[in-house]
Amino acid sequence: MTFLSNEIKWFLDVYVLLILGYAVLIMSSYLVLAYLSMKELRGYLKKNSFVDYEVLLTSEFAPSLSLIAPAYNEGFTIEENVKSLLSLNYNNYQVIVVNDGSKDNSMEILINTYDLVLTELDIHPKIETKKIRGIYASKNAAFKKLIVVDKENGGKADALNVGLNIAQNPYVVCIDVDCILDKDSLLKLAKPFLESYGKRIIATGGVVRIANQCVIKNGRLVEVNIPDVMLPRIQVLEYLRAFLLGRMAWGRLDGLLLISGAFGAFDKEIALLAGGYNTKTVGEDMELVVRMRRYMLENKLPYSVSYIPDPLCWTEAPEDFKIFKKQRSRWMRGTIETLDFHKKMFLNPKYKLLGMLSIPYWTLFEFLAPGIEFVGLVITIVLIAFGLLNWHFFFLLLLFVYFFAVFFSVLALFSEERTYHKYPKQADFFKLLLAAFIEPLYFHPMTVYAALVGYREKIKGTHGWGEMTRKGFTKKE
Amino acid sequence: MIQLWKLYENGKWVEPFLIVSICLFVGVSVVLYLLIIESRNRKIKREKLRAEYRTKIEKLMFSVVFQNVSFLEVEENREYMALWDVYLFRKVMTESILDLHKNYEGIYAQKLEQFYKESGLINTSFKKLKSLKWEIKCKGITELAEMNVVEAFDKMIALSKARNKALKIIAINACIKLAGTKGIVHLTTHPHPIDDWTQLNIIAAFKKHDIGDTKGVELLLESQNTTVVTLGLKLIKELRLTQKLKYVEQLINRAPNASLKYEAQSVLQMLSVITI
Repeated sequence: MTFLSNEIKWFLDVYVLLILGYAVLIMSSYLVLAYLSMKELRGYLKKNSFVDYEVLLTSEFAPSLSLIAPAYNEGFTIEENVKSLLSLNYNNYQVIVVNDGSKDNSMEILINTYDLVLTELDIHPKIETKKIRGIYASKNAAFKKLIVVDKENGGKADALNVGLNIAQNPYVVCIDVDCILDKDSLLKLAKPFLESYGKRIIATGGVVRIANQCVIKNGRLVEVNIPDVMLPRIQVLEYLRAFLLGRMAWGRLDGLLLISGAFGAFDKEIALLAGGYNTKTVGEDMELVVRMRRYMLENKLPYSVSYIPDPLCWTEAPEDFKIFKKQRSRWMRGTIETLDFHKKMFLNPKYKLLGMLSIPYWTLFEFLAPGIEFVGLVITIVLIAFGLLNWHFFFLLLLFVYFFAVFFSVLALFSEERTYHKYPKQADFFKLLLAAFIEPLYFHPMTVYAALVGYREKIKGTHGWGEMTRKGFTKKE
Repeated sequence: MIQLWKLYENGKWVEPFLIVSICLFVGVSVVLYLLIIESRNRKIKREKLRAEYRTKIEKLMFSVVFQNVSFLEVEENREYMALWDVYLFRKVMTESILDLHKNYEGIYAQKLEQFYKESGLINTSFKKLKSLKWEIKCKGITELAEMNVVEAFDKMIALSKARNKALKIIAINACIKLAGTKGIVHLTTHPHPIDDWTQLNIIAAFKKHDIGDTKGVELLLESQNTTVVTLGLKLIKELRLTQKLKYVEQLINRAPNASLKYEAQSVLQMLSVITI
């Protein structure tokens, strides 16, 4: 019996040390990334205050861009969304809307609104895709930038590949058609492609923010608000943390693995050489960035991936748990699939920082974290059941994690306050502060659950995105 | 140290560690919260003051530009002189003068330049050039260039050789504004590559300041630095400098690499079409 109790004591000691060690490791990494991000952000804003983006507007040497916007059953908003894409502040660009076999009247709306007629394009497809039914251009000179491709349904990655095949310009900007773009977003996204000498910039990405309850007028965001509903409100905070305290640091280290599928620009040649978007994963945005980086590293080509901290793209966050769960489980599946496809890179010095830091970080803190939390929860329940739990220690550990989460959110609010100050209303600030206290108890368990669903779906072999119903933005006409 | 090791060994460190960490997180959160509140209040106060100063400055500048009021007369006004020592007031004043100068030409612009010199704001701008912070230097350069202070040209040439890209761009633009082509010929001996973004800014500065006399642009084509040669070609192309075609032809014959030769040929082809 004494032997058994000694064994249990040893197990508990090791368990506590492991849990605490993991928590301290994750917290320390967050703090290091936050420090690097804030430093980089300050430098960026200083430099940016002297940048004249008009230079790009007036020059024939500005990079030519092709915007690729896949659309599936977007009939409700497609007219306005395409209009907003056509009115961005940039000269050298074309818009390619890829209708991915929508079941609604998206195509009819596009044909009627933009005077579209079937056209012949000299295409030499480099990536295999689903069949294209027709390519349309406008009779109206006002919409000469627009090309609409009607194709059989093949998913987002397939639609983006069609866009890559058709794009006539050297840089492609892949966007979600329902996102609201800042008027100068293309100017900011194009600039890094011109800035590097001797190193090829293969991709640039910008910050995505939550637009729920914001006021949209003529396809432009005119008033920023914080949602009243708690779920999207906490996502505002979550995005602030991720973009202001995380990705900027990865950008600085040049170890960025993910450029949001909602808004990112790529060097078309490299994207095609790397094989385009992978249709076998739901995390096609992350997978493409990893594959492009891998291609450059394996071919020993000097390169960089750039990141812009300005809020350039506003998107709608899920407002109910069902849709949220679908989104997050899909994100988890995408992460697992990408890490699996590129497992060769894990701790492989050949892939430099990417293999030695970025991939292990994602594996340990993005992929494994929900699983570790779940195991921790199960062990805690077992300990309670057997009366072995040290309640005093348990509460201390709980408070330790809770207050770190609150502190980190407040740090994100502080960073936002000192940089972009997008939420100037006092009420909005307090709404976010309240969200910081509620998040660890309400939102975090939901994200862990959704991630576990993602694990299960991956094990079961679930494919595809699932239906994503959007509520639509508040419009002010 | 021994005590700390003992604490670690007997496992009693966990609890104090957690308690200290919790206190630290709570404490830092409270400090951050207070800093946010303080920052917000400061911003509101600053904006109010700015608006207040702007109204006063607009009135003053109106009298300077349209009623020939000199700085000597302003000096007699106690209200203004009391504010003159306030940093924010002088800052808003400089911004207002610069904004007005952008919108006025001729005699009105000259009056503003005169006021800028007499009031001593010019000295503040010169002091900024000596700052250790590059962003302050940039501000100083922008101010002096906007107010056409040609005496600052040599200092700006020196700053245009800086490694900091933002500072380099601002300084080159200022040089172009103050002295046209003379502001870039020193680039022929520039040792570092000039990236596309910097090149675009230089071209834009030529267009923005409507530099008519382009004598010397051809010198860029003789540089050993291929990026400087590319800049020269781009300038010739974008500004449609057909009179420089013979230099482009010469470059084609002695281009150090195929890429440069191709660029030169394309410029020649495009401008020849225009000439015809």
